[in-house]
Amino acid sequence: MLLWALAAWWVDSPLVLPSPLKTLEGVIILAGDFEFFVSIGATLLRVFGGVFISVALGLVLGLAGGLNKAFYEIMNPFVSTIKSLPVVSVIILINLWIASGVVPLVVTFLICFPVTWTNVVQGVRTTDKKLLEMAKIYNVDQTKIIRDIYIPSVKPFAVSALMNAIGLGWKVTVTAEVLANALPSIGMNLYYAKIYLETDLLFSWTLVIVICSLAIEKITLHVIGNNRKEEGQCPLS
Amino acid sequence: MSIVITNLSKKYGAETIFENFNLVIKKNKITGILGPSGAGKTTLLNLCSGLEQPDCGTIAGINFQSISYIFQEPRLLPWRTVRENLRFVFKEKSIKKPSLHDADIDAMLELVGLATVGDHYPSELSGGMRQRVSIARAFLYPSELLLMDEPFSSLDCALKNRLIDDFSKIWAQDKRTVIFVSHNEDEISRLAQEVLTFSDKPVQLLSREIRV
Repeated sequence: MLLWALAAWWVDSPLVLPSPLKTLEGVIILAGDFEFFVSIGATLLRVFGGVFISVALGLVLGLAGGLNKAFYEIMNPFVSTIKSLPVVSVIILINLWIASGVVPLVVTFLICFPVTWTNVVQGVRTTDKKLLEMAKIYNVDQTKIIRDIYIPSVKPFAVSALMNAIGLGWKVTVTAEVLANALPSIGMNLYYAKIYLETDLLFSWTLVIVICSLAIEKITLHVIGNNRKEEGQCPLS
Repeated sequence: MSIVITNLSKKYGAETIFENFNLVIKKNKITGILGPSGAGKTTLLNLCSGLEQPDCGTIAGINFQSISYIFQEPRLLPWRTVRENLRFVFKEKSIKKPSLHDADIDAMLELVGLATVGDHYPSELSGGMRQRVSIARAFLYPSELLLMDEPFSSLDCALKNRLIDDFSKIWAQDKRTVIFVSHNEDEISRLAQEVLTFSDKPVQLLSREIRV
């Protein structure tokens, strides 16, 4: 922050590098307009929509992939293909087929789903074999084994996937909003600030993204921490 | 009826554990198996429980749907309380009609000296307490055969004595068939009514001793 302030003072041109104070002022001015909240709300909806679908499907299909080798072999080439697709190509291609507003959500899913799926499969595979042997000896049924052994074992992997998905989801959603001209959105506000050379606004919107991202990460960690405490485990640091 | 092991063979790669091994284990008794570490005692329990399959031979007289196992380590679900761990091995018929009653759990926890920790998580218990939960689980489960793989090996002397006493008390209530393996002669002599001594690999029965 100090370096930024010093650099802004040295450059002495808000067009090139606005100061932290000017950036903060910009955020306060933006917050006076109802459209500001509509843009944030729409972007949040896309991020959470994409992340939610990715995590939900990643959990279910990841569990299936971890438990069933044949299903893993079927899914793995699809996931590997999705992983290797360049994000920009995907955004432009999908924009040809579907409405601009939905593109960021679909792209977020395509980026976040492989992360979740891979993590969950890994979680299933690292489940404590000794607990599984114990369950087998006592003839515990498969539903209970999945509910009481696999799902709790996968939980730390799913949490890590969720945190990654949220982090990735923000970046991908905002990028996709810019490239797909999705309205209303944070991404398009960034884009307009850039084409109208409103560097201070560009910084203000970037600050908004960082604040939202940190707030969501903290809230998610807090919720997960409470959940772990209820289960008698150490909260996440 | 007894457990009859006939012409049992088991290899891990080039290492032969059992080769045409024969053994009869009496029902409703505690049979102790002594032998050097790594001789194949755990393999015998795993074969008897169905966790592993023999390469050759048969094991007759075991109902594989009705086995309890006390492992060297407690093998409790870390994310479930003591009570939930005990319930885990029981079928859930319905909420109104559970197959395991709270009173049964309370009585067993009382018996193993854990009456006050039913709602604790395994991480909140000492190693000995966790092993007692595992003993409670094995006895609560209505099995015909109880397998025990050095269940006291990781415990200190005082705790081991306490658990052996607890075990004898609980076993006296239903006198189920127990196969107990250990390399510790003292543990075996205090619990077992019949003591079998195994040789090193490939396993051979060196002696059979009946104790009163």
